[in-house]
Amino acid sequence: MTAPESFDRWLRDAAAMQRQAQSVLRSLREAGDVEVGMSEKTCVYADDKIRLHRYSALARSAKLAPVLICYAMVNRPYMLDLQPDRSLIRELLFLGIDVYLLDWGYPDGSDRFTPLDEYIGGYLGRCVDFILEENSIDALNLLGVCQGGTMSLCHAALEPSKIANLITMVAPVDFKTPENLLSTWAQHVDIDLLTRSGNVSGEFLNLVFLALMPFRLTQQKYVHLLQMQADPKQLENFMRMEKWIFDSPDQPARAFREFVQWFFQQNRLVRKELELGGRQVLLENIRCPVLNIYAAKDHLVPPSASIPLGAQVGSEDYESLEVDVGHIGMYVSGKAREIVPRSIARWLSKRGRQRVRRRRQATA
Amino acid sequence: MTDSNIADLQSPASMAFEFLGRWQDFAESLGMRSDVSAGGTCTPENMVASLFPALGMSREYQEIGQRMVEINARFQRRCAEFAQQGADIGQGAWRAYQKRTSEGGPKLAPDALYDAWIDSAEEAYAEAAGSEAFARLLGDLCNLLSAFKVERGKLLEAFARQVDWPSRAEVDSLHRRVMALTEAAKKVPPKPRRKTRRPAKRAPR
Repeated sequence: MTAPESFDRWLRDAAAMQRQAQSVLRSLREAGDVEVGMSEKTCVYADDKIRLHRYSALARSAKLAPVLICYAMVNRPYMLDLQPDRSLIRELLFLGIDVYLLDWGYPDGSDRFTPLDEYIGGYLGRCVDFILEENSIDALNLLGVCQGGTMSLCHAALEPSKIANLITMVAPVDFKTPENLLSTWAQHVDIDLLTRSGNVSGEFLNLVFLALMPFRLTQQKYVHLLQMQADPKQLENFMRMEKWIFDSPDQPARAFREFVQWFFQQNRLVRKELELGGRQVLLENIRCPVLNIYAAKDHLVPPSASIPLGAQVGSEDYESLEVDVGHIGMYVSGKAREIVPRSIARWLSKRGRQRVRRRRQATA
Repeated sequence: MTDSNIADLQSPASMAFEFLGRWQDFAESLGMRSDVSAGGTCTPENMVASLFPALGMSREYQEIGQRMVEINARFQRRCAEFAQQGADIGQGAWRAYQKRTSEGGPKLAPDALYDAWIDSAEEAYAEAAGSEAFARLLGDLCNLLSAFKVERGKLLEAFARQVDWPSRAEVDSLHRRVMALTEAAKKVPPKPRRKTRRPAKRAPR
């Protein structure tokens, strides 16, 4: 092909892209608001802004202890049930698992003095107790995701008898590894000063997350959107993700300050120096089976931050599962959808059926 | 004015220069820089240095204002450094892009060229963003903004008191009291249930 021919072709490609973009923009203008978190659920427990949801069964029970999902506070948990064909929760329900989800809500000014311990030992602890009571069982399965995974680890270390099996998903454990960009940045932030003016806004967090990969997240993503076919379903998928990404709740000042200082800056969890509510948090106290799922291409929680869990927990039954996706891909990608829910269900069912409370059996 | 004075008068331009020369001598005697026209004196640092010390009834507010000016000056300086970092990243990205596209040759379509640019930019950015210098710069910018917010909060607090609005300190104090009460309430043991006694039936008349 000669140079003018090549240029001509280049121009034709550019014109086609322009037409494509116009068509996508038209479809976007016509599209309405998108729905998220579509699986049927009931709020079974409320405590301040915290809500505990129980999902309606979609298949015959696998007779396993219920799974409580503890998601991060920095994003909304509906990511785990984004839409029917991209829902970890729905997949677990189809596998006969009884699923509860802890929703931290949107903290406001009245939560600025709430300590981290109240979130881990208080709210999470009371949700665990509620589920144990409701199901008359001694211990449940806890699935902690991202920051919620770290919080679940702390809770399991403090209340080991209440956790039958622990699953962590893209959860940071060692916060000071060279690949952890968030941690590198956090070392120089005066977090006392940042939180002195109150809660840390969701917009600030969004900026930080965007700054991790600014060119991809603020430009390329939208250029790729314009290259999509103007298929309403695809555009809806995109808009759901878009809605979730920027739906970051404000962070309660004190809990956020404690989390950043204790975990990111001082790495207390792996240094065995963490105390919550006057009790030392030792991961070696976790003796229940542990499944650690991490993403090979995670830019937020690099594998090096999750992998050290194996050497920290006291459990002799520890397994890890690497999935070749990114952080977000762990929740919504087709690859993760095929691997993760089945692996969780298989792993759980190998570790026994529901343990009904002994006291109840004795009474019967 | 005598005739001899009039004879001494020169052209207006030379007179102006003479006044300027005398002004420069005066300014330098006070330790001030006289080369204002060079544009080097109007830096944020000099602006801060030239502020009067806070005095009088509104001393505290003047101090807050001065701290805000100072923080702003430091923020501007760090922003300039950040812009320089951005320019360096841009150059690195451009070099990586040239390398990438030269490998692909003229066959690359517009979308492939664009993706190559993004890959190159992210590569250059990741290298810089992981460095200690970048982290320190980002931290400084964040800390300066936080410090500015704290000072602004003090002014808003004072304003709220003037117009009898609930101030942040007041609301915080109430929050703390509610928290203390909630904690205290949690520690109170539940009262044992008292058996309710049925009212005695009236004897039939």
